[in-house]
Amino acid sequence: MKRPRLSWVASAAAVSLLALAGCSGSGSASAASPKELTVWVMGDSSAHFDELVKPFTDSSGIKVDTVAIPWDSIDQKLTTAVASGKGPDVVQIGLSKLRVFADSGALLKLDDKTLQNYPNLAADKFLDGVAGNATAIGGNVVSVPWVSDTRVLFYRSDILSANGIAQPPATWDELRADAKILTGRGKGRYGYYIPQWDSALPVIMTWCQGGQVVGSDGMINFNTPEFQKAVDVYTGLYADKSVPTNADFDQVQGFTSGIAPMLVSGPYLASAINSAAPDLKGKWSVAPMPAGTANTSLLAGSNMGVWGSSKNVNGALKLLDFLSEPQTQLTFYKLDGQLPTVKAALADPSMTSDPLVTVYTKQLYGAKLLPLVPNWDGETGKALLDALNSIVLKGANRDSTINALFGATNSTSVS
Amino acid sequence: MLITEASPHRTDTAITRTRPPRVRRTGSSGRLVTGAVLGIGALITAFPFAWMVAASLKPRSESVAYPPDLLPKHPTLQFFKQLFSELDFGHYLLNTIAVVAISMVGVVLMAMAGYGFAKFRFRGREPLFFLVLATMMIPVQVTMIPTYLILNGMKLTNTLLGIALPALVSGFSVFLFRQFMSTIPTELIEAARIDGAGEARIFWRLILPLSKPIIAVQIVLTFIASWNSFLWPLIVADDEKLYTLSVGVSLLNRQLATNPSLQMAGATLMVVPILVVFVIFQRFVVQGFTLSGLK
Amino acid sequence: MKNRLAPYAFVAPAVALLLAFGVLPILVAVLVSLTDMNLGGLGDWSRISFIGTENYRRLLSDNEFWQSLTNTGIFAILGVPAVIVVSLVIALLLNRANNRYFRALRSFYFLPAITAIVAIALVWGYLYNTQFGLFNYLLSSVGLPQVQWLSDPIWVKLSVALVAVWRGTGLNIIIFLAALQSVPKEYLEAADLDGASELRKTVSVVIPLMRFAIFFVTITTIIAWLQFFDEPFVLTKGGPLGESTSISLFLYQKGFSASQFGYASAGSVILFVIIAFVTLVQLRARRTDVDH
Repeated sequence: MKRPRLSWVASAAAVSLLALAGCSGSGSASAASPKELTVWVMGDSSAHFDELVKPFTDSSGIKVDTVAIPWDSIDQKLTTAVASGKGPDVVQIGLSKLRVFADSGALLKLDDKTLQNYPNLAADKFLDGVAGNATAIGGNVVSVPWVSDTRVLFYRSDILSANGIAQPPATWDELRADAKILTGRGKGRYGYYIPQWDSALPVIMTWCQGGQVVGSDGMINFNTPEFQKAVDVYTGLYADKSVPTNADFDQVQGFTSGIAPMLVSGPYLASAINSAAPDLKGKWSVAPMPAGTANTSLLAGSNMGVWGSSKNVNGALKLLDFLSEPQTQLTFYKLDGQLPTVKAALADPSMTSDPLVTVYTKQLYGAKLLPLVPNWDGETGKALLDALNSIVLKGANRDSTINALFGATNSTSVS
Repeated sequence: MLITEASPHRTDTAITRTRPPRVRRTGSSGRLVTGAVLGIGALITAFPFAWMVAASLKPRSESVAYPPDLLPKHPTLQFFKQLFSELDFGHYLLNTIAVVAISMVGVVLMAMAGYGFAKFRFRGREPLFFLVLATMMIPVQVTMIPTYLILNGMKLTNTLLGIALPALVSGFSVFLFRQFMSTIPTELIEAARIDGAGEARIFWRLILPLSKPIIAVQIVLTFIASWNSFLWPLIVADDEKLYTLSVGVSLLNRQLATNPSLQMAGATLMVVPILVVFVIFQRFVVQGFTLSGLK
Repeated sequence: MKNRLAPYAFVAPAVALLLAFGVLPILVAVLVSLTDMNLGGLGDWSRISFIGTENYRRLLSDNEFWQSLTNTGIFAILGVPAVIVVSLVIALLLNRANNRYFRALRSFYFLPAITAIVAIALVWGYLYNTQFGLFNYLLSSVGLPQVQWLSDPIWVKLSVALVAVWRGTGLNIIIFLAALQSVPKEYLEAADLDGASELRKTVSVVIPLMRFAIFFVTITTIIAWLQFFDEPFVLTKGGPLGESTSISLFLYQKGFSASQFGYASAGSVILFVIIAFVTLVQLRARRTDVDH
């Protein structure tokens, strides 16, 4: 019989197992030493983040270990971190998840006393919409602003002018009318695109009509005339057949191919368009959010929080302070394309010289957060989307569906 | 029950020599037609794979081109390079290999269990085997949080061992081992015992070598499963340095502005090694299933 | 001398692992299903309270739960026969010759089974894309209207099931091939002598002799399709409006995205019971069917 190759394999495996078992990831979850910090960074920004914090490490001697978390997986990571009590020191928190993080009890409270030694973290340094108590939950602030994101109107200037539209629409009613004209270009062509997963859009539309979605009692309240007007526009675009009805419509391709020459989206779309279709330069631009009585847009983005059981709270706060320096914010924008939240950075000449960025920053100043309810993505926002989508995609009765939505959401509170 | 059914038609001691496969005498024209039909079927089946490879070589502007072209006009390896230089794929590759290596230990453990269930009679054998089978019916989502808590209690989170452990053993594979090993003639084992060999020696020196086909099967299946594993590496790794290829590929999925060529490059990187392994072990895989009495 | 403890020593490591990572979690799930555990409760056990069978009551009156169960049933009815029949037919064809070409073909048919699901999602998501995907491009080039593969309530089930069938045949083809190769020649020659045609031989002689393999594949395939998760998760996230949500995906969404662990655990227990029931029914049926 052949020499037992298998026992060789088995021994090798056993040896490597022992070696590897000892080989845990370098740096445990929450750094034990005051000279280390573990930071959770979302998506593929971690390489840029590493570069960004080099000066911080040089000056403070604190080593920063970034862990990249896939966007789709943040729920799992958070759950298991909470379950085991082992989290990072600093964590990037997408604003739509802020409430979930806060409710988990895992974040450190960042009251005035804690922040008093860190001038860059003072509330008035940041955009009003997201500074200080704007993100307080249950009266507690548990994060500081990091990067911002907003929504503006993207449009194909070449296609619009070829169809007799000289200026991008300034109001939602104008947008609806323009979309209808553009849809008339032919089969398979649309005027606008409503993402079926975008729970922020109907809320933005409501704000633009001058309305709120949160009542004075702190409860969600969709039962307002402004919301009804927003629903009119939303369902109207579908009724006009100005928007595609499939769930897998690709924004970038849709815009670059001209199939959807108008979209509401964020700055990341601009960089995607530039790299996917550089020859479109000059044929497209951005404009402020169409208005109703106001042109209020969404304030999205990410904050940074400190893990409650972190063993290096001082180091974490120092890092947050560094990240809030105007220069750091500008550098990150250059590296990663995400907009600052620090007012001084937004007003910097390097930002205001870019015409696109000027539109973004103007939009940011008046932008608002989505309501900080216990679970916007999974419940309230989902209920809103399901209601609207069942009306426009399945032909459900508008009044009964909307009334059911009121009932399902009006006991959700933001505090 | 189905497990203890004897296979009455097996009379030859097929284990000590490789049997030539039984080929039906089909006319050569019949074979030609069959071959053609299968060939077309194979092309259709493999088509998405071909698309993936082609797409990984397309520059970004071509990846959003419409109407779509199968072959890239200006093929580029830039995205593969990017995976290793900018993103940490070299690291992810090493981690994946390490997880696969640890999983191979699982193959040995399952072989042991299959042997125990097949060739020994002991108290609790039926209920234990039933439990083993029952684990096949447990939905993965159920196990995620309790398993994580167990790993945490064993201080195995953020280790490669912790990543490999939950999926180290599977009821399906234990079942296959048992099926196969029950066809090993007990006389051989008894003879070895009479010669004075200890149980461990019998296992290593007699049983395992005789089980090469099924072990080959298990190596391939385990390789595939642990190479592609996504869930446990993601959950158990606190540190990006422990991420495997699957997790790395999913990191490439930005929220909205994706880079299809880069993602396809990552995906291609994941498939090619497994394909190589399969092609090498292919012969043994079919043999292994054959001889395990699955007929 | 036979060592009394030997069998236990052999069996112990694997069984211990299966108990720890398979059986124990389901027991934990049963416990948790009787509580209102959520994310906060996970971190701080004092925030958990016992609520008896409340979760089960809520589940049974949850439309999304029933929708996902129905979807899972539809998927299983579509997918399981498809996988078995396609795998069997291909295995029969592949078995007709044993030259290099035929052996090489096996690798092609196995490709879908070895490709990671993240990769599959990318490619098929592209192929199915309504505006820019290959399938609709082909349709439009012969003048047929576009199909909303992943958005139409009926098509989405077929599309998602197709990807899973494409993936699921690989391993089963190998199993059937193996079973075919152990069909004793004597039976086939006897049938030849009786003057049976090719098809007749296959149907009346070969397939009955493969009964066990077919049974094995059926059971494992049904179990797999009842736990259907990967394809809807990566292709549609269960959309649109839950039309392609399987029960596993529903549990995952409730358990992780919405962090309602008590609720999700109750659902998991129900799913486990369903799978166990279906499997046992098949085993029983097989038992009464054996006629050697």
